[in-house]
Amino acid sequence: MSSNREPMLDLYIFETTQQIEKLEQTVLDSEQATDMQVSINEIFRIMHTIKGNSAMMLFNNISELAHSMEDLFDHLRETKCWMHQGFDYIKISDLVLEGIDFIKGELDKINNNQSADGDAASLIGRIRKLLEENKSDNPSSEQQKEEKKRKKPKYYISSQKGVLEDSETTYDALVFFEEGCEMEDIRAFTLVHSVKEIASEVKYHPEDILENSESKEYIIKNGFKLTITSSQSIEEVRELFNRTPFLRSFDIEKAGMKKKEQRRIILDDNELEDKAPEQADEYIKQSSDAKSNEGFEVKEDVSKIEAVKTAEAEVNVSRSAPSVGQAVSSAMISVNVSKLDQLLDLVGELVISEAMVTRNPDLAGLQLDSFYKSARQLRKITNELQDIAMSIRMVSLAPTFSKMNRLVRDMSKKIGKQVNLELVGQDTEVDKNIIENIGDPLMHLIRNAIDHGIETMEERLQAGKSPTGSITLEARNSGGDVWIEVKDDGRGLSREKIYNKAFEHGLTAKRLEELSDREIFSFIFLPGFSTKEKVTEFSGRGVGMDVVQKNIEKVRGTIQVESTLGKGTTIAIKIPLTLSIIDGMTIKVGESRYTIPITSIKESLRISNEQVVKDLSGNEMIILRGESLPIIRLHKLYSVNTLIEDLQEGIIIVVESENKTVCLFVDELIGEQQVVVKTLPNYVKNVRGVAGCTILGDGGISLILNIQGLMNTQSA
Amino acid sequence: MKKVLIVDDAAFMRGSLKMILQSNGFEVIGEAENGLEAIKKYKELQPDLVTMDITMPEMDGIEAVKAIKQFDDKAKIVMISAMGQENKVKDAVIAGAKSFIVKPFKQEFVIETLSKI
Repeated sequence: MSSNREPMLDLYIFETTQQIEKLEQTVLDSEQATDMQVSINEIFRIMHTIKGNSAMMLFNNISELAHSMEDLFDHLRETKCWMHQGFDYIKISDLVLEGIDFIKGELDKINNNQSADGDAASLIGRIRKLLEENKSDNPSSEQQKEEKKRKKPKYYISSQKGVLEDSETTYDALVFFEEGCEMEDIRAFTLVHSVKEIASEVKYHPEDILENSESKEYIIKNGFKLTITSSQSIEEVRELFNRTPFLRSFDIEKAGMKKKEQRRIILDDNELEDKAPEQADEYIKQSSDAKSNEGFEVKEDVSKIEAVKTAEAEVNVSRSAPSVGQAVSSAMISVNVSKLDQLLDLVGELVISEAMVTRNPDLAGLQLDSFYKSARQLRKITNELQDIAMSIRMVSLAPTFSKMNRLVRDMSKKIGKQVNLELVGQDTEVDKNIIENIGDPLMHLIRNAIDHGIETMEERLQAGKSPTGSITLEARNSGGDVWIEVKDDGRGLSREKIYNKAFEHGLTAKRLEELSDREIFSFIFLPGFSTKEKVTEFSGRGVGMDVVQKNIEKVRGTIQVESTLGKGTTIAIKIPLTLSIIDGMTIKVGESRYTIPITSIKESLRISNEQVVKDLSGNEMIILRGESLPIIRLHKLYSVNTLIEDLQEGIIIVVESENKTVCLFVDELIGEQQVVVKTLPNYVKNVRGVAGCTILGDGGISLILNIQGLMNTQSA
Repeated sequence: MKKVLIVDDAAFMRGSLKMILQSNGFEVIGEAENGLEAIKKYKELQPDLVTMDITMPEMDGIEAVKAIKQFDDKAKIVMISAMGQENKVKDAVIAGAKSFIVKPFKQEFVIETLSKI
């Protein structure tokens, strides 16, 4: 088995991670639900699966932890004690969530090829203790259970024909099961069940294999005795035993006597004493002497057995509750993410190659009608391929969003604020890379919202708001972007506070009145900025917002803050849907080329020198339709040598980002084309205003400009 | 080669069993992740053997055994059970399961059980 394990590890980690995530959601849902039975069943089932899987992989700590929770939830669903008044479910869900965190931690270790050596003993202890407490709190239900057990229908295994045929023989058999095969009592029962098929009568000892848990030990130690009456030959009976799994050894021999006329239908333990054949008597005495007050040996009609079966069936039907959010996905396959990355890279290369071929300088000036016709076809297919390759990578935001439920629950409990989280549009799909980069920032934002944004209950009541704060996490598509908003109805941002703080830190030299709301709010994204005096466990260390911004910028996203004092704050993140291929306008400055994302270009124009004005510090601006827009000379910004320094000779490109507009001065436009964004190598990281680079059709390199970044260089 | 249908809601368990069976001369002709699917696949594939998990969503293993037995009296079904599920195993046996394997299972036990029944 050990050689088989390694390939299974990935599947184990994958599935267990999924289960754990589902579990977490179910636990959180169950806290809200009025009818918890469905959730409890689901939690029980997931724990059961994790227990089994982990035991197979020999992760015993996980398996035992899952086992303890399985027991706990088994108790809950059987006794339905959660229905009682004053039942403290939070205590249980807290423990389960702790268990989830433990398993998550262990999975991380396993994933990183470390040994899963976490010690769950104390947690298991607490879960067991809680289970005990629950049991003693509900003695009545336990009693019921006991009674139910006692009343359980007995299983009668016996003859179809009451009359023993002449040809029938009685055999004695003594059976030992293989060591470690587990559930020896049930194995014995299974054996009896299969022997029944060839026998007219089967008696066995110990008789109470199903009712008495001690019978298991007895069978292991002393073996399991059967007395079989059958028309089959001894060889045939042997054959049946031979085909039974897990028999270490068995002896079968003919019993001394043949019997006739044994029609007995015995319904009652008492009657049994008188009427059972001598042999059975002996067994019964043994058993009743030994332990059993419930020992029985009864023969019944097959019809009775059927009745028992039907009764059992009904019980089972009622027990199998509908599962929560079950996803059947037979038409799905799971693919390694690195393969998807590769695919996208290759498609990227294909897009570049296509440009290299169709825009090859050798073709310039040639009359190539049929070539261009084929080239168009190639481009069309390349585009489709690109669309598909990207759509494969699209993943729903739902799991990322749902994680926030847990965060809100834990935090609001800890800091004593009531917060309600609403998720909107969590089915929106984004590139897998975005998902990976957005989790942490969102968590930061929500933490901030709860910690700084939402007021305490008293404050809220004083302000005439509902005592429960509300946070909305919303995602939506718009054009080629996805917007993710974190909205709270808390105290809002204070212009003055932020300005004062920024001024103290020397982050701005301007006066408060000169700054727009947006400019002031953008200070909170600067490193080391925090107006919160008190540092809590969750936020307020002043690391956070700048990290948030960095993470978002990694996926070429931008952040906007809107806030009304006393009403709340909205933080909106805009991220392009796909990361790697953009439509760009390639421009030229000197010998260098740059690409500007088409989405940020408003217009491009030639200007005359009369339109240019200079402010006191010599910054150039142009007046365009009554608006004065600052000019950024790219050749100056990046120190590129160019012959075109006169604004009249070059081209002005008006670009816009987050409602701010600036003009870029460049030498000339080269043309619009799709480009594949490549990240800059590490040694040139953090060039101001550059988002990445790309390879052009002629094999040259173009830097992709990040307009937002450019504006920041301007305003700083 | 005996044809086996594996029924388990955990992909990991299906994978583990499949690996054991395939390296020991069994042919895994199908997998199902709940009882309903198991019944459908049984009728469709007519396997020689079925390994059946007990706790599954939609329809549990015991119900599935009953349904399969009703469809094919000769069906050979082995339950895959966990410790502590004695009662369920018993129900499954009454419903017609031939034997059972207890998780976490050893390769030898799986092979022995499936070879014998």
